[in-house]
Amino acid sequence: DATQHRSEELTQTPRHLLVCERSSFQDEKNRLSTQVEMLHFNYKVSVLLPECSSAPSQLDSVLNSFTSFYLIKNLPVHELLDQHFLQTAVFQGCVYALSYRTRIDEDNCVALMPNGRLLLSLDKDSFELLGFEGKPSRFNHRVKSRFVVSVDLTSSCMAPGGSGYLRLVSGLKSRLNLQMDFLLLHHPGGGASLQSLLSRYASSEHRPTISQCRLSDLSCPVLESCDPSDAHSLLEWLGAVDADISWDSSCDFVSTLVCPEPKMTLSSALRVSVCGFLTPQDIQRLISELRCYLEQSRLGSWVSLTVHGFVDSPVSWGANEHGVLKGGENLYTLLMHHDGTYHLHLATGAYDSCPP
Amino acid sequence: MRNTDEKEETSVYRRVVLKNSSPYHYMRVCLVVDDQRIRPSVVELKNFIITGLRTLHGQAGAAINFDVLKYEEDSLTAILRIYSRGLVKLWSSLTLISSYENHNCAFRVNQVSPYLLALTGNSRDLQLD
Repeated sequence: DATQHRSEELTQTPRHLLVCERSSFQDEKNRLSTQVEMLHFNYKVSVLLPECSSAPSQLDSVLNSFTSFYLIKNLPVHELLDQHFLQTAVFQGCVYALSYRTRIDEDNCVALMPNGRLLLSLDKDSFELLGFEGKPSRFNHRVKSRFVVSVDLTSSCMAPGGSGYLRLVSGLKSRLNLQMDFLLLHHPGGGASLQSLLSRYASSEHRPTISQCRLSDLSCPVLESCDPSDAHSLLEWLGAVDADISWDSSCDFVSTLVCPEPKMTLSSALRVSVCGFLTPQDIQRLISELRCYLEQSRLGSWVSLTVHGFVDSPVSWGANEHGVLKGGENLYTLLMHHDGTYHLHLATGAYDSCPP
Repeated sequence: MRNTDEKEETSVYRRVVLKNSSPYHYMRVCLVVDDQRIRPSVVELKNFIITGLRTLHGQAGAAINFDVLKYEEDSLTAILRIYSRGLVKLWSSLTLISSYENHNCAFRVNQVSPYLLALTGNSRDLQLD
């Protein structure tokens, strides 16, 4: 009956998916590098090194060599289709661009993916003004309040000067006149190929922010089996370490959080994080460096690495449409062991597809 | 509904997909009080939230277990942990709380996620200028 139905509704939560994968670097078919590469727009990576009090110098140098990115203000979106920009930047390597401080649940959002695909996530009015082919967002296809325009800038039908190209440029330029702040970077080569664009608009260069924190006497679960049924308690533990939540709450009334059993105490641990607009290539380099570090360290040791994607990116992994219902999380945690095996946990929220 | 799908290829490789499996949800909330001098302690904060649960959902609501994982008295921000089935009740009662010791107040819910990790990596916090 109605009352029961209502009380059932009160206990439900939005859909969320967690993929737990176990594999090994020795396995030739392991897909880790693909999975890392497919998450294009990364906001933060954090690393936990147990039994380590200061970062090894090689690791430090990898962290310090993360690519700089640019913030460019009030960039008209049609500039991303500028012929010169396409030829010097987009067709030569990878350009990552993501609109900054736009919220995908209320604003128009734009992203340029490294493979040359331009994505516009637009509200209904903007989409109709633009007058270009697009699809209703999969997350509200019934009400059709948001539309996604996805264009491959490298395809022949979007060749500069062609009819499709001109229609999109004139839509963006004269009808919609869309302008927003962008985070921008180019791989490889940094800013050189972006200079002509950066010089015409107010822009600033930014280094990813690195922060390190040394932890001592940390309660830690024993990470031997790592069964999928324990995945959530492991992720909770890592989250608590990242958020500086103390384990021995003096008061049961306030918090009943405990470290998962069986547990041990780490005399020291190092937590390092890098924040900004990060490329998958830099994260890839960080992972290889951590593998070297693990090979040199003692038996039974491990390292964890967590990567957070941008909440307001129009895509999460690959070209999978992404949205925000409540959290917009798209993140993964990689737990690497001394013997070359690893556990990978990929998590998405309500408005997302299943991670690869 | 299929909750898990397993593939067994090599001895090491395994992939499991879990749907709606998180036992908890985590909330990052901030208490805004019109009198800046008011700084409830963590115990007072928890009591205050329980009172809100009781007001909206009765004794059954007041019995809902939740944890205050972290509380910063300076900024009045807290991280709460709640069993997933209690999320809607906790969230709704936080929304309707409007007075603390006869002062106007409100809870701002800044972020909600089934993953505690997500609360430390919210790209909406990125400040560049």
